[in-house]
Amino acid sequence: MSIIMKLPKDKKVIVERANKVVYDCGDSVIKVFNSTKPAADILNEALNLARAEQAGIDVPELVEVGKTGGNWAIRTKKVEGKTLRQLINEDPSVDRMTEFVELELSIHAHTNPLMNRQKDKYTRMINGLTEVISEATRYELLMRLDGMPNHSKVCHGDFVPSNIIVREDGSMCVCDWAHATQGNGAADCATTYLHLKLGGEDEIAERYLSTYVERQGCSMAYVQGWMSIVAAAELARGRVIERDFLLSMIDVVDYY
Amino acid sequence: MSEETAAVINDGPALVVRSTEELIEKLALMREAQRRFATYTQEQVDKIFFEAALAANKARVPLAEMAVEETGMGCMEDKVIKNHYASEYIYNAYKDTRTCGVVEEDKTFGIRKVAEPIGVIAAVIPTTNPTSTAIFKCLIALKTRNAIMISPHPRAKGCTAAAARIVLEAAVAAGAPEGIIGWIEELSLEATNTLMAESDIILATGGPGMVKAAYSSGTPALGVGAGNTPVIIDSTADVRMAVNSIIHSKTFDNGMICASEQSVTVLDDVYEEAKAEFARRGCHFLEGEELDRVRKTIIINGKLNARIVGQTAHDIAALAGVDVPPSTKVLIGEVESVDISEEFAHEKLSPVLAMYHAASFDEAIAKAERLVADGGYGHTSSLYINGGESEKIQRHYEAMKTCRILINTPSSQGGIGDLYNFKLPPSLTLGCGSWGGNSVSENVGVKHLINIKTVAERRENMLWFRTPEKVYFKKGCMPVALDELGAVMGKRRAFIVTDSFLYKSGFTKAIESKLDEMGIAHACFYDVAPDPTLQCAEQGVAQIRSFEPDTIIAVGGGSAMDAAKIMWLMYEHPEAAFEDMAMDFMDIRKRVYSYPPMGAKCYFVAIPTSSGTGSEVTPFAIITDAESGIKWPLADYQLLPNMAIVDTDNMMSQPKGLTSASGVDVLTHALEAYVSVMASDYTDGLALRAGELVFKYLARAYDDPDDFEARDHMASASCLAGMAFANAFLGVNHSMAHKLGAFHHIPHGWANAVILTRVMRYNAAERPTKMGTFPQYQYPHAKARYVEFGRACGFTGASDDEVFESFVAGIEELKAHVGVKPTIKDFGVDEQHFLDTLDEMSKQAFNDQCTGANPRYPLVSEIRELYLDAYYDRPASSYED
Repeated sequence: MSIIMKLPKDKKVIVERANKVVYDCGDSVIKVFNSTKPAADILNEALNLARAEQAGIDVPELVEVGKTGGNWAIRTKKVEGKTLRQLINEDPSVDRMTEFVELELSIHAHTNPLMNRQKDKYTRMINGLTEVISEATRYELLMRLDGMPNHSKVCHGDFVPSNIIVREDGSMCVCDWAHATQGNGAADCATTYLHLKLGGEDEIAERYLSTYVERQGCSMAYVQGWMSIVAAAELARGRVIERDFLLSMIDVVDYY
Repeated sequence: MSEETAAVINDGPALVVRSTEELIEKLALMREAQRRFATYTQEQVDKIFFEAALAANKARVPLAEMAVEETGMGCMEDKVIKNHYASEYIYNAYKDTRTCGVVEEDKTFGIRKVAEPIGVIAAVIPTTNPTSTAIFKCLIALKTRNAIMISPHPRAKGCTAAAARIVLEAAVAAGAPEGIIGWIEELSLEATNTLMAESDIILATGGPGMVKAAYSSGTPALGVGAGNTPVIIDSTADVRMAVNSIIHSKTFDNGMICASEQSVTVLDDVYEEAKAEFARRGCHFLEGEELDRVRKTIIINGKLNARIVGQTAHDIAALAGVDVPPSTKVLIGEVESVDISEEFAHEKLSPVLAMYHAASFDEAIAKAERLVADGGYGHTSSLYINGGESEKIQRHYEAMKTCRILINTPSSQGGIGDLYNFKLPPSLTLGCGSWGGNSVSENVGVKHLINIKTVAERRENMLWFRTPEKVYFKKGCMPVALDELGAVMGKRRAFIVTDSFLYKSGFTKAIESKLDEMGIAHACFYDVAPDPTLQCAEQGVAQIRSFEPDTIIAVGGGSAMDAAKIMWLMYEHPEAAFEDMAMDFMDIRKRVYSYPPMGAKCYFVAIPTSSGTGSEVTPFAIITDAESGIKWPLADYQLLPNMAIVDTDNMMSQPKGLTSASGVDVLTHALEAYVSVMASDYTDGLALRAGELVFKYLARAYDDPDDFEARDHMASASCLAGMAFANAFLGVNHSMAHKLGAFHHIPHGWANAVILTRVMRYNAAERPTKMGTFPQYQYPHAKARYVEFGRACGFTGASDDEVFESFVAGIEELKAHVGVKPTIKDFGVDEQHFLDTLDEMSKQAFNDQCTGANPRYPLVSEIRELYLDAYYDRPASSYED
């Protein structure tokens, strides 16, 4: 790990988000976080990436973690190709849903006992929602979460087309492991579904869900059981615009 | 005053918990209180139960108001009914139930059932019925001398605590210990899970998550879960009653009872009638867009929208943007799919109902099955039908995987019991069985909150004495006895079974001429060989079938009588399987296979010609399958002959070898019956007399075959010993002898005799490795029994040990006198062959039917040593453990 990470002059911005900028630096990609992002988050993301690689998943190779101009940054080897999101946008007529779901299931087929535990993470997030949802609802969410089956599958936590790079030969590499945990694959599926819904892609979201359920051989209800929990987790990530939508997903009951 | 005590006082008699740490402390105080409560008498408990029920009943209206106000759900007036029910009905159901100390006693069998409290109950209470469930759980806890710590739902914690406090304060005023009821005020998952882990039993009412948490806590749990009650209205139903019952139930507390109807499937021919009645009574059928709007409102991502639970039909419609009159009772969606992708197919906990068509009753059942599978496994289902349609009702209840199936009953009020039916126990906790992941499938009541200790005193089981209805004896008695077949019984056709030697020697002549004289037609099968085979019996039975006798007369030794018994059985019951009948038993009364009754076709007469087996009075027969070599030992009182004729005239021609072998067999029968764990006063006399006769007359009969007196007494001895072991059974001596016969072809009587005194020493051990299992057999006492037997046979000595030794020596002397070889080896058994078969023989002897009655329970290794001792003539060991 170098202390100071140098960014080349000819770097190109790939994407710019509220809390980070991702640069194309020729043979590598550097993700520079803004200064308020805690070091622990960056190190956690890098560690997740390393652990995903250790688990045998096709991910960009971690090169270094360091600081540049006071900001934390992660450098990975550049993977040549286009994101699945780009490919979908370029030619919406090609159905890539099965590929997408199979890739997700192939990640779930891996384990890494050192990864963070999904239930711990969700519990933390729900407990942090004191301002937004009532004690009763938090209690119910925690009770529901507690009762969910315990699995130890590697879960990406943000499995969306823009995080998948498709190489020339068709092989796929998954990036952005910031939210990865080990846990229940259905929760990961519910998260992807929710992200697609929040992205306004209702039809794709429904098709995704039914493909996942069919390929995984589980019931729709099994995945839906996680919806209120992942919605709460999204809320905890500070989603503001979709707050009412998320709250409506959270305010459900199995039974009183 | 410590802080802790101050808190208790501020909370009155209640234990109110505000953190997980405090929970641990208060549970300790609660355990103290419960320990005191556990010492209360039934009278004290009943007084507390009465006062507590009364107090809850009085507070039913304010508690209902509080519940509605706090939760924003349900209907106050209906909650009053629930509170009323939880106090009055529960009191009424259990007021006379004994829950303390001895609750049941059967002096004859020495059984007492003693009820004990379980300890601390963790009660999880839902929002839907907070006050009534709290009253219910607290009352049944008090009635059973348990303490109860409540984990309310945070949405209803105020009213839940209020209800619990009312019950508690009345209970304490009536004498209950303070701190016997408590609740968690500051709820957290951690506190609830800690409570579940630390309590003694969990009464959980809640969603799947809660129920799962309860079951995974490691504490025994009575958990219940969601329902999805499907109701069917059959073509034969009283449609008006059905529809109005459903409305009544579905609107009760705005549809929040978990047993409430969620869907109604109506047979096509009464569909319109039902629909019109629903509409006439104020239900709204959702049409066009309305249906979709309500769909999207009630279920979100497959889950029930919390905002509709316990609301009125009007308010739910408004939420969905549908305009209905405020008086609307139920919103009905006429839908097609029963799959859970259909929002209406879910449990809705509100006055929203799905309505389905069904072309046939089977289709309606199929729909209901699916709805139950999707969301209500184990809970409740209901059917409206003409009560006379029992076949349809059966088809319905067989198909429903629900623990309550209600007929012509509003399910909310029907499922909780005692309102619309009067033998379903009243309860607000409805078990859903394994289908619902529960440990109980009934309505939960006081019986689930007590541990029953059964105090069982030692008892001796009934014994019996069974013998043929007629045993005729004395020299020359045979023709007289046979006369009865004709003159008294009017028999027409007799079939004689014997062996070729007896037949050729003219033994059957006397019988045949007597039968002729009486005009009884007869036929004879005379091919019975020693160790009779199944194949031989099959030949015989073929003749019997064509002859169709009404009497079978067995003439001969054990082989002829055994073969005849088997033929009798095969003739009466051609369907009976030997493999099943030969199955060993531990207790002949409790055997798995029941023998078919005998005697419908034939009367069975046994006439022995040797003095040994006693088969004429025993329920035993052994048959060998010549093809497989398997011996089938059959034992059942159905095989007992109806008439035994012991005529000494038939015994006079026995050769010396037979006299010897059968004579020592008699002695073994008598001795084993006498020391058997099943020996009784009824068999003891017979066994002792048989033994005495053997010692007096066997040598004489052996020495002088024509000694009529000796023959006569040996005939009696054989029959007496037969009756003794027919009831007291035998022992390991016979088990071992059976295998010496099977493996090494030593004649049965000698096989018994060659090991007899060794087995006696083995059984006589005062410190056996294991003793026989039978309540009558209280301690190892075989030695004393042998000594009694020896004395009866004329052996004396200064001590029991001396008598025993003198008796053993006397037996050896008798054996030698009648030519019994001293060792197994002397019977010509090849050493290598003996050693090769030894392990298998020992195991089979251990597993022989006769072993069970032996006073000492043998180890296979011990049997093996006995065999070796008897083969090599090793000196007798003490055979102590």
